[in-house]
Amino acid sequence: MSAALPPAAAAPQGNGLTELLGGLLPDGLPFWALALTGAVVSFAIIFAFIAVLAMFATWLERKVAGHIQVRYGPMRTGAWHGWAQALADGVKLLIKEDLVLTSADKPLFKLAPMVVLSTALAAFVALPFGPNAIVADLDLGIYFIIAISSITTFGVIMAGWGSNNKWSLYGAMREAAQVASYEIPLGLSLMMPVMYFGSLSLNHAGAMQSGWYGMHWYVFSDAFWIAIPSFALFFTAALAETKRAPFDLPESESELVAGFHTEYSGIRFAFFFMEEYAAMYLMSAVGTALWFGAWNFPGLSLLEGTVLHAPLAVAAFVTKSLLLVFVMMWVRWTVPRIRIDQVMALGYKYLTPLCLLMILLAASWEWVKAIAFGA
Amino acid sequence: MATLQEPAAPASDRSYWGNVWHAVKSTAVGMGITFRYLWTKPFTTQYPDERLPVDGRYRGIHYLEQDLCIYCQACAKACPVDCIDMGAQRHGKELEWEFFSIDYQKCMFCELCVYPCPKDCIHMGEQYSLVTEDKSDFLLELTSWQGLTEEQKLRIAEAEAAKAAKKAAAAKAKAAKEAAEAAAEPAEPEEGKE
Amino acid sequence: MANSTKDPALRAGERLVELDVRTQDVEINMGPQHPATHGVLRVLLRADGEILTGAQSHLGYLHRCAEKIGEKVDWLQYLPYTDRYDYLSAMNNNLAYSLAVEKLLGVEAPERAQFIRVILAELNRIASHLVAVGTYGMDIGAFTPFFYALRERELLLDIFEKICGARLTYSYIRPGGLMNDAPAGWLEQVKAFTELFDKKWGEYWDLLVDSKIFVERTANVGVVSEELALAWGCSGPMLRGSGVDWDLRRDAPHLVYDRLDFEVIVGRGYRGTVGDCFDRNYVRMYEMVQSNRMIRQCLEQIEDGEVQHPDVGLLLRPAPGEAYVGIENPRGELGHYLVSDGSKIARRLRVRGPSFCNLAVAEHLLPGCMLADAAAIIGSVDIVIGETDR
Repeated sequence: MSAALPPAAAAPQGNGLTELLGGLLPDGLPFWALALTGAVVSFAIIFAFIAVLAMFATWLERKVAGHIQVRYGPMRTGAWHGWAQALADGVKLLIKEDLVLTSADKPLFKLAPMVVLSTALAAFVALPFGPNAIVADLDLGIYFIIAISSITTFGVIMAGWGSNNKWSLYGAMREAAQVASYEIPLGLSLMMPVMYFGSLSLNHAGAMQSGWYGMHWYVFSDAFWIAIPSFALFFTAALAETKRAPFDLPESESELVAGFHTEYSGIRFAFFFMEEYAAMYLMSAVGTALWFGAWNFPGLSLLEGTVLHAPLAVAAFVTKSLLLVFVMMWVRWTVPRIRIDQVMALGYKYLTPLCLLMILLAASWEWVKAIAFGA
Repeated sequence: MATLQEPAAPASDRSYWGNVWHAVKSTAVGMGITFRYLWTKPFTTQYPDERLPVDGRYRGIHYLEQDLCIYCQACAKACPVDCIDMGAQRHGKELEWEFFSIDYQKCMFCELCVYPCPKDCIHMGEQYSLVTEDKSDFLLELTSWQGLTEEQKLRIAEAEAAKAAKKAAAAKAKAAKEAAEAAAEPAEPEEGKE
Repeated sequence: MANSTKDPALRAGERLVELDVRTQDVEINMGPQHPATHGVLRVLLRADGEILTGAQSHLGYLHRCAEKIGEKVDWLQYLPYTDRYDYLSAMNNNLAYSLAVEKLLGVEAPERAQFIRVILAELNRIASHLVAVGTYGMDIGAFTPFFYALRERELLLDIFEKICGARLTYSYIRPGGLMNDAPAGWLEQVKAFTELFDKKWGEYWDLLVDSKIFVERTANVGVVSEELALAWGCSGPMLRGSGVDWDLRRDAPHLVYDRLDFEVIVGRGYRGTVGDCFDRNYVRMYEMVQSNRMIRQCLEQIEDGEVQHPDVGLLLRPAPGEAYVGIENPRGELGHYLVSDGSKIARRLRVRGPSFCNLAVAEHLLPGCMLADAAAIIGSVDIVIGETDR
């Protein structure tokens, strides 16, 4: 079943970074040197991006929470609306004493934040920030992201077990149950755009949504009546996958004190924090790439070939993803928290069947199109 | 939707699609409310920079009209937590103040000390932020002066002078009277002798 | 409900699962420092995974000997201490104590004072229920309704500040009447609030109470049946939530409540079973509306006059005797039992606190629920630890 390709350009091949490095580095280098340099450079870029993103997102979260709750949020650090608050917090977390409990399972306790953050970083590898602005253009990009981001759960379970704290253990067990069951609807909800684009590569999906008016975005396509509910399903599953309210059971502060990271402080706690915002951004970016036209916006195709094209495309992609991050925050400060058995019920009784129904509808729609328009 | 009248019948539709519809609708309504408040002006104030005025009846840190106080201890007796302590020496009508202190670690700002005052000289003020790094700062001294003021000294001196003058006058009068009596008394027998 | 009481092994938290593996339930301390216990309550929970198999509450972290102090200070001097048991509804506490002392003295406050007392008691009921509903939302995980509720409560505290100078511990309603008359413009401020509140009330309903997740978390959770509520001596919204039509404002009329037209809100299983957490919250929500209605009626009926009984001064010496007066506090029946021997100090002072009795039933509700429901059930009881421990 191949989707009718929109008239936009076919997916561009190759990797921007590799090409760039290949041009800069002297000829005759062995492959491993090229690969290592690429890895180091891309790690540096992604880590810097996540660090800045986490700072901005914490500030944004506090401001959004504050203004929704008819208060100001941080106002003192920095001159303008407490912009330096996240920076100050980052410095504080960095210089804080690194506490490890004597009763903790030390190897697991120390390893957990690293596992959590490194998986979040790894998932960014397959994320396109612009046309060809991608570390590795995997054919199985979506599959890779879903697979790698669920490894985070291991880190959380290690943290919960290693802390030797009953509340932490409860948080970890909840995380395990929740993420394992929400992998299914999350994966299934991604099948609708995948069927439409006929590819698991996010870069390909982005390229297929380019066009003058932005009318090639999946939500504006002929299958919009599938795209909108499927996005709602994806977004709900993504909230559960990223442990955001109303699915923040692993760290639900009014029940489990702080859940799996109760015993963490200093930089190790900061790692969990960065992972949360990185995962939020990652899920939002996947949503943007598949439903909201990736880096495309109306008029971008006119600039094709100019210097402005790439920066604008990246800016558009990041802005759109941050808008979805904002929606996640907005949801968090609106709704109460679900109970664990209801999380399971929602996942298995509602999201999964509804996703399957949407898949059936999407597949039928492709079939109807194929018959009616003879693709 | 919210109505101030109690709804007529219980709403317990728990069908599958009823649940889905209720979840979507109530979340959308809630997000509508929070989104509206995202753009309205915050209700709070930036406290230490910006302070809301307190009302005239505000029960803050006390102030004492010391020149009216007669050291009757009525406020100290009325206090449920015994946080008022005072000391003074009486010089006739004038008071030599030693201290009038309130321990704000104990005080609960109940205003019960204000009502029994016969001279209406202790009041609740408008100051409220008792922030300090040292506990002993909570023991506040309400007197504006200790000992005797110049006016009081003058008045005491005047009173003493007046007293002395009175005493002297009394002594003089007594002496005069005695003299007169002495003068009169021997006269009588003299008359009798004659 | 888990069968946690029959088998001694089960009672000890041990159970035999398949393959002869002996397991033991995990024991966790919820509190005294825990975000969902509203103060320093400690509940020792025993759980089999997420399911609770036992619960025991430990009180006394905030014990301040209030009743003993009552036997050491003058009748009037005890008034500030009443503020401090249920600090969210200090006006109601003042009122309960004052009515009890008035009964001992055999006097009644002037009519204007009675109207102002009712206005204050009902305003304080709204303020207290706002905190109850708001913090309940927080227990369930919704933070924002709490801030909206506290925003309106702030206006109420301004009203209280204007009349008595304090924002939390008022000591304003005293035996014989009031400390002083309402200042100029105060009644208008109350009227403005009642109008504003009717508009804002819908926000809490739409944002919190009608939210699907809130309904799922509270409906059919922690069901207190009518018999259970009566057997454990529950009162207030806890009792009315279970469908018992009992309100001391109507059934034991005091002050001017018999001249006001109001409904007693009773839980009726709006989203689930009668007596679940949702119903208790439902009762609180609609009681705020009814309180608002009462205040409006009082504002229409109030007339000028004295606010203090002329025979009641600052130093009281009630005739020897005893008196009990219970009134409808926001949390239930708050009663004072006073014994006087004719001196200026009470011979015996006993307080019947509603939170204390209501909390007792929670221990009975928790086994069989999920861990997350512990926060929901304890929150729905709406305890104030200051009053359970006194």
